[in-house]
Amino acid sequence: MIFSLMLNYRKTLCSSLFFLLLVSFFFSELISSSHIAVLPVFEWMETTWFGVAGKTWGALFAVVQAGHLVGLGVLGGSVIASDGRLLGLFKGLPMRLVVDRCHSVFAWSLALLVATGIFMACGVAIKIYYMPVYWYKMLALTLGVLFVFFIRKPILDRDLDQVNPWLLRLLAISSIMIWFTVAATGRWIGFS
Amino acid sequence: MSNKDDFKARDDRGAGIVFAGGIVVFFIVYWYFEVQSVRELLEMAYG
Repeated sequence: MIFSLMLNYRKTLCSSLFFLLLVSFFFSELISSSHIAVLPVFEWMETTWFGVAGKTWGALFAVVQAGHLVGLGVLGGSVIASDGRLLGLFKGLPMRLVVDRCHSVFAWSLALLVATGIFMACGVAIKIYYMPVYWYKMLALTLGVLFVFFIRKPILDRDLDQVNPWLLRLLAISSIMIWFTVAATGRWIGFS
Repeated sequence: MSNKDDFKARDDRGAGIVFAGGIVVFFIVYWYFEVQSVRELLEMAYG
């Protein structure tokens, strides 16, 4: 009986377990030992071609950063349009059309953000390693990607009339919170 | 809708509630502490 329940609700159980592990990680010694363990990776990042290019040519870094900001703007726009529609805004537009179109725009802008973000991170790897806000951004980004592709999309791929409107609102609010945090912490890194 | 699809839909819905709820709680706590730390810094700087 319990085994069959676990089998039928494995995604729900995995999500609960994921949050339990995340909270345990935050309140354990593991967080500081993991932080120390990844330092060599950040030192190596600065020695890569990306790291050297980013540090040597300020203009190149600025151009890539401009691409990063454009990607962030497009991603923010797709999140506002899609989640705004789920929250009941833009009622003149069909929900299915808005959600599907925004998802493809979102996926491309996320790819642009990650690609330009890796280049920028290589240029200032040691600096960001010591910034707590960078780690919060990475946490928010990881949560966001997992949320969008493994939680939000499977629900929104169903017939939207069959999904509880309160669940749609909860998905929209959490999505806005995640991407707002990613954008805000990203700008925070830029101003630190 | 078959029984299997029904379970899948319920599982997706359950995971959605757990994950989205977890995110909302996590970020409310996170931003609360960030705002508090900014307020403390401003109080130290300007009284």
